[in-house]
Amino acid sequence: MASEPVEKQEQDGSSATPGGAVTGPPAVRIEGLWKRFGEQTAVHGIDLTLPAGHFIGLVGPNGAGKTTTLSMVTGLLRPDSGLVEIGGHDVWRDPVAVKSRIGVLPEGLRLFERLSGRELLAYIGRLRGLPGAEVDKRAAQLLDVLDLAGSQHKLVVDYSTGMRKKIGLAAALLHNPEILFLDEPFEGVDPVSAQTIRGVLERYTSSGATVIFSSHVMELVESLCDWVAVMAAGRIRAQGPLAEVRGEAPSLQDAFLGLVGARGRAAGQNLDWLGGGAR
Amino acid sequence: MSTHATAAAPPSLVPVFVRLKLTLLRNGLRQSTGRTVAYVVSAVFGLLFTAGVVLGLVALRGTAHAGALTVILTALLTLGWAVMPLFFPSGDETLDPTRLVMLPLRPRPLIGALLATSLVGVGPLGTLAVVTGAVVAVADGTAAALVGVLAVVLVVLVCVALARAVATASVRLLTSRRGRDLAVLGGLFVALGFQGINIVAQRLGGPDGLSVLEPLGGVLRWVPPAAALGAVDDVGHGAYGRAAAGLALTALALGLLLWWWQRTLTTLMTAPDSSTLQAVEKDSARRAGGEERGLARLLPGGRTGTVMLRTLRYAWRDPKSKMSWAMSLGFGLLVPILYAAQGNGSIYTSFSASALLGLQMYNQFGQDTSAFWMVASTIATPRDAFEELRARALTLALVAVPYVTLVVVGTAAFIGPWSDFFQVYGLSLGLLGGLFATGAMASALFPYSIPSDGNKSVAPGQAGIAWISLFGGFLVASVLASPLLALTVWLHVAGLQSLLWVLLPVGAAYALGIATLGLKLAAPRVAARLPEILAAVSKG
Repeated sequence: MASEPVEKQEQDGSSATPGGAVTGPPAVRIEGLWKRFGEQTAVHGIDLTLPAGHFIGLVGPNGAGKTTTLSMVTGLLRPDSGLVEIGGHDVWRDPVAVKSRIGVLPEGLRLFERLSGRELLAYIGRLRGLPGAEVDKRAAQLLDVLDLAGSQHKLVVDYSTGMRKKIGLAAALLHNPEILFLDEPFEGVDPVSAQTIRGVLERYTSSGATVIFSSHVMELVESLCDWVAVMAAGRIRAQGPLAEVRGEAPSLQDAFLGLVGARGRAAGQNLDWLGGGAR
Repeated sequence: MSTHATAAAPPSLVPVFVRLKLTLLRNGLRQSTGRTVAYVVSAVFGLLFTAGVVLGLVALRGTAHAGALTVILTALLTLGWAVMPLFFPSGDETLDPTRLVMLPLRPRPLIGALLATSLVGVGPLGTLAVVTGAVVAVADGTAAALVGVLAVVLVVLVCVALARAVATASVRLLTSRRGRDLAVLGGLFVALGFQGINIVAQRLGGPDGLSVLEPLGGVLRWVPPAAALGAVDDVGHGAYGRAAAGLALTALALGLLLWWWQRTLTTLMTAPDSSTLQAVEKDSARRAGGEERGLARLLPGGRTGTVMLRTLRYAWRDPKSKMSWAMSLGFGLLVPILYAAQGNGSIYTSFSASALLGLQMYNQFGQDTSAFWMVASTIATPRDAFEELRARALTLALVAVPYVTLVVVGTAAFIGPWSDFFQVYGLSLGLLGGLFATGAMASALFPYSIPSDGNKSVAPGQAGIAWISLFGGFLVASVLASPLLALTVWLHVAGLQSLLWVLLPVGAAYALGIATLGLKLAAPRVAARLPEILAAVSKG
């Protein structure tokens, strides 16, 4: 494709977005968020406002700072500086209000794998202070919907990647949070499990809840989300309703490549020997 | 360099593999300075130890039992090589032939290259030195020295080939989850084995103790590769027939090992992987029935019971937790028994039970690994943190209090005297309480990762934190128990021996108070440091 690169203005985080009817506080408000690991700056002073009631995608190439950002937003990683509010509550000053309102599925962190799927849900539900009978009822339904009922007594350590993502999702949904944070929920998941996860998430957002998930699979984000934030090299490159971020580009993938400046970086002529046949 | 590799004739694999091994070794060291230091320190200590053994062997030259001793030493060395890959499966990446499955390699050159690679390293070097020392100890005359050179080569080759063959044969087991679990528990056998060697060594230290070795040496003398050492001894005594038989046996063993290794390697590289087989397994139908629900019903409700149930399940199901529990319980009992066996028995040795079980309170969150995020995401207040810590302490107490009671009563009954029972029991409980308090505090302030694979209990680079928190905590806990000690001493000095029973209720109350205080102090620190703790325990 040789279309003109679409210049995207970085939106100011505080303004109301045209896509969502702003009634209450935004689901997430981030101001001047920084995180450095030694020499490397993972998150570069980002400002971001994510409206409530949307299916929101945080997209970016590997190493863009998506996981670091989500970890800081969900209280699992302490930022060097900056403000994070969830539903109007400061994550670090008011953890009581925040932790009961959010569900988290992190990437790269383990579960209590020596419990069976069912035991894990029973554990996390009770830890969140739900009554035991209610936990067991919800767990049974979630296991059923997520197609895990047949493996509910197997230890999570013996689960496949897709099953782990699904049991993690069940654990994140068990206390019916207002906002769900999912870090790469479809990474390494087979198409059948992915469809199951999709179905559950669509049902969840249709009742007004917010899903914020990170991914580098543009087709997926384009088909699921109505709001996206594009991240690269620790900075937010664009944010807004899907149509606005996509602009005139034929697909989100094209718009994304333009935004992160990766378009036209084709495989060079140095690989002229490549193509099978003679060694 | 790489242009040579594209030449038409397939180059020998040996230099490629040796270079791979050296690169892996160098890159492993480059990862962190702590690792480099640890490697250098352990290498220096290993070499010093080896040098000591070699010097000892050379000093044995000409003594009566040198023959039997060297034969047994060689057999032990071989045994070590045989079991090493089972306990340290992840120690050497070139050890895992399944990584080479996609490369177009024939078994025979592969075997040669892998064998050559195995000869590179500190282990084979140490073995070479020790076996050479053993040969020096027994070789008598030029002919024996010549046979000795052959014996050294044979023994080192058999050791290395044996380790490789066992590793290959067990790789299927070791790459499965259950196999890895077993390997972790293997550390327990190593630890207990050391105690056994300790006892044997003391027996041998007695007058004319070495003569005990003769019958064993007589048998092992015909077991390869120790047979090669026996052959060196025989040549010195002119028994050329026996010597030839010993050498032939060892060479035969080497041939058989190589053949077995090649066979298992071929099977392994052409058969499906264990992860595929595992995925096919059906739901294991873990006893979801009444048994666990019955146990759960006995536990308190809310966070306390939930955390206790999880901790108890982990103590049984998680190999790392299981091993640390088994170590504490085993050694807590072993210490009084060992001292009694040596004739130094005392009721005061029963302090080991409360000391070892109390140490279980340390690094509570490290035992969770990065799954600690699930705990962190449900802790919003210091109260939540307190309940979490208290539940873990209660689980520990559930085992520790009856166990300490049992050990103290046992030592009082078998070693005595009963007159010291109350003070020892009271002080034991006080120490336990102090360790719970400092353990909770150390869990909050000095968390570290416990790698889930292999035998390591500390992630690289965090050993310093682990040792400081354990030793520092132990010192502080001893100081915390000192009021009880002072009371004990005062009762004795003031001649109030009839009132010594007071120490039991006072000790119990003191333990409860100090533990609660420790948990209360630690809880706000846990609540305030959740991200820092998560980062510290996620390195494994």
